[in-house]
Amino acid sequence: MRNRASTSLSKGKIRQSWSKYNLYNLQRFRTPATANRTFFQQKWSAKAASRAYHGEQVREGQWKRMFSKRIRSVIPMNTTDLAADDGSKESSGRGSGLSSESSSGRSRSRLIPYTQMAFAPLERRLDVAIFRSLFASSTRQARQFVIHGAVTVNGQKMRHPSYLLNPGDLFQVDPDRVMYATGAPKTAFERRETRQLKQKSDEGEAEGEEAEAKAEATEKDEKEDTRDSLRALMSQAKTIMSTDKDVLPAKRKQELRGFQKAVRRVLSRSDTSTVLTDSLEAQFSELTLLLKAKRAEKKPTKESKKEVKEEAAPAATTKSEEATSGALSDAFQAAAEGGDVDTSELTDEEFDILKRALTQMRDNPIDHSKPYATPWRPRDYMSAFAFIPRYLEVNQNICAAVYLRHPVARPGSAEVPTPFGESISTPAYGWYLKRRW
Amino acid sequence: MAPRIQSRRVSNALLPYLTSSQASSTSSISSTCPSSQLFSRQFSATAAPQTKLRRQMFQWLSTEGAALKHHIPGETNYLSGRADRDGDSNEAPRPFPGNRTFISEAVLSEDLRNEVYVRVVEKKKSLRAVSVELGIDMKRIAAVVRLVEMERRQRAQGKPLALPYARAVHEMIPTTPLAQDGERQTFHEPINDLPAHPSTGAQIFYPVPESRSFTRVDAGRVFSGAPALEKAVADKISHPSDLVDDIIQNPNSIEWVGKGENARQVLQPADVRIPHPQLVKLELDRKAFPNERRAVTQRHAERVEKQEAAEQERRERAHARREKSIQHVEPEGSRFDYRIQDAKFTKETTGADGRAPWAPGRRYGVPAEDRKRGMVKIPTRVEA
Amino acid sequence: MVLRIRLARFGNKHTPFYNIVVAQARSARGAKPLEVIGTYNPIPKKPTNLYDDNAHTRPYKEIALDRARAKYWLGVGAQPSDPVWKLMGMAGLVEPKPTTFHKA
Repeated sequence: MRNRASTSLSKGKIRQSWSKYNLYNLQRFRTPATANRTFFQQKWSAKAASRAYHGEQVREGQWKRMFSKRIRSVIPMNTTDLAADDGSKESSGRGSGLSSESSSGRSRSRLIPYTQMAFAPLERRLDVAIFRSLFASSTRQARQFVIHGAVTVNGQKMRHPSYLLNPGDLFQVDPDRVMYATGAPKTAFERRETRQLKQKSDEGEAEGEEAEAKAEATEKDEKEDTRDSLRALMSQAKTIMSTDKDVLPAKRKQELRGFQKAVRRVLSRSDTSTVLTDSLEAQFSELTLLLKAKRAEKKPTKESKKEVKEEAAPAATTKSEEATSGALSDAFQAAAEGGDVDTSELTDEEFDILKRALTQMRDNPIDHSKPYATPWRPRDYMSAFAFIPRYLEVNQNICAAVYLRHPVARPGSAEVPTPFGESISTPAYGWYLKRRW
Repeated sequence: MAPRIQSRRVSNALLPYLTSSQASSTSSISSTCPSSQLFSRQFSATAAPQTKLRRQMFQWLSTEGAALKHHIPGETNYLSGRADRDGDSNEAPRPFPGNRTFISEAVLSEDLRNEVYVRVVEKKKSLRAVSVELGIDMKRIAAVVRLVEMERRQRAQGKPLALPYARAVHEMIPTTPLAQDGERQTFHEPINDLPAHPSTGAQIFYPVPESRSFTRVDAGRVFSGAPALEKAVADKISHPSDLVDDIIQNPNSIEWVGKGENARQVLQPADVRIPHPQLVKLELDRKAFPNERRAVTQRHAERVEKQEAAEQERRERAHARREKSIQHVEPEGSRFDYRIQDAKFTKETTGADGRAPWAPGRRYGVPAEDRKRGMVKIPTRVEA
Repeated sequence: MVLRIRLARFGNKHTPFYNIVVAQARSARGAKPLEVIGTYNPIPKKPTNLYDDNAHTRPYKEIALDRARAKYWLGVGAQPSDPVWKLMGMAGLVEPKPTTFHKA
């Protein structure tokens, strides 16, 4: 295996990759001319073009040993047709059916593209299957994931990219790596923030605690305007969830950040500070609980809140804190019920929007410790390469997939994903049919 | 499960960087790039092919390729699709412009996946029944149950999930949705695929008298080189699907032909070899009794039940046999368990000279070829 | 001459694999034995429980043994070596040796 697959523009080879160079090459690829060329030359160039895409990371000798001239195919059977006759109609007369009408009833026009399946054995490879399940942006990257130990097959770590999957094998890739492989890369600005975050964590926790205390103090100064903050929260949630396309990405991000801050503020008001330092998951559950509580009656609200608080901080609850939180919860209720403006603001729809914004914040948070741009978004040009062949069943949530069966050809379509038409795949298949070694 | 954003407009906004703004930024880059190159090379007389190609590429990416940069939720965004999109949108999505035979086929939507899981695990329906109801291959159903099971466990354990990624992928590729109440479920894939048997590859000239009806059963016998059925036996078979019941109850009843290494089972007609042979019987029944719908479905349900019972029994028997031959020992002080498998080391299993290639254990007097060129040196299977 | 039931090592470096063999006590380890009556893979395997994490998950080792032949050879006076005694003790063919350690 060469060290690097070059996606050079001058050669114009198509690779198993999502890069924009590859996309451009794919777009401008033309079938090599056959006029004035010997059959050998035609086969040679067809082989060269298709091998640059299929198993470019596999040595030629290795691929030749894998090659099989047998091609799997299936015919989708129609039970009504099967029930209609026992086959004697088709063999009657002189062996080609009694009349032409009976045979034309079924669609026979579509041929099975057998030679498009020439590289089917390579689809069994673990690295190729990972690429086909959209877990990596190229086969090379998939290969790296395997070698670095991020892939398990049937629950056991598998470090061989050339492992040939058997039907029924379940493989799983580390979700963080998948998000990294398929997500947009960080910008220079985000990289700097990551660096700063790292430095901060290195400097020690003492300073951080001080800063936090300071922040809390400042927040407590603005204590009175609970109602305002709630309203701000709502408006920010609305802007985040709006479908306005004209908002610049940077601004959108700013808003997201602001929303996060507002959420923190509300949380700091309503409850003890332990929630703030906890994970986003805790924050989220807290807020949804608050929302639910607000929508319920007056008395259950208080009870639920107290329960939550006791869970969150069982030991370190002083009396003063309790008193403040109680007062705050009252204020919260007042905000929800009190003024006419507020009740009109908090309709069911708005609650829904707020909830969605919270879900979005929890599922796709801004987190500079991740190696990809946050909030996660697909990398550029991913959609042009996004397809999942039928022989794989993929669950994207857990980044796991099952290799159901070997790829097959059927009338009109072949399951092996290849960018080449039959004018290339047929001579390439012919090349490997003839044994030259 | 976390609430998913259902509406298309909102889910679009979930991915905060949008097409219009990004496209403008690329165009600005591409416009600056070539000009700077021109500047640096303004006294050079030789052409630079690489730079020209790069310029062309960025030119293309900023004009025609700009639409490919970001996807529109709910639509495919392929290279070949863009030309067709203006014309007819009904055509199957093809990711590669040069390959008309590869189609980007739909995957199961999240709801449909959960529905499969609910029907199989919670409602305790058989894979076969769910497969026919939803039009999903049985292997896929088994895989979906496995995967959803795994997902639920990982959620319960609080392991990290790739939720935004999953949402984005499902926006990019075609999906088969779960039917709403009252709607008909769209079938995901053909469920009665007949694999082409290798022995049918040969072209055989086989003369048959015109007076004789030559059915699929006979064709299978010809392909596998078996003698023609006797007339009495052949007359009993009114339709090839009559063979189904016997073979389901006892798969070993299929006749063998040939000797030694050439021994092979007689190729059965398509009615037997498809995954859901009972559906053919159902069609036949419907044709024979068009007015007794209820009775027909009743009979079909009985047949399916019988088939499932037979299959289940066979599975259990095999499992029991396997379990019986293995003794599990769990010593107290040990860090390990031991599994003692019964084995037979007789002349039949080891060969007359004890060196038969299929003999259990490592062999004597034969070179180990495991390190030779061309031998597979990595694991060939991982036990589930 | 004494007949022994013992292990004969196969496999590669760091990947041992044993045949359980019946051989003359003085014959070489790799020599052709009278009979092979089983195999023993000392490399523990992890049970893969994809569905149940709380299940009993101790790694296991695989043994294959022809009990009828083992009984026959024990009956004619073949003496198992210590490791084979341990394995056969687990299979219930011989009385397990006490695991007390005492110096002679």
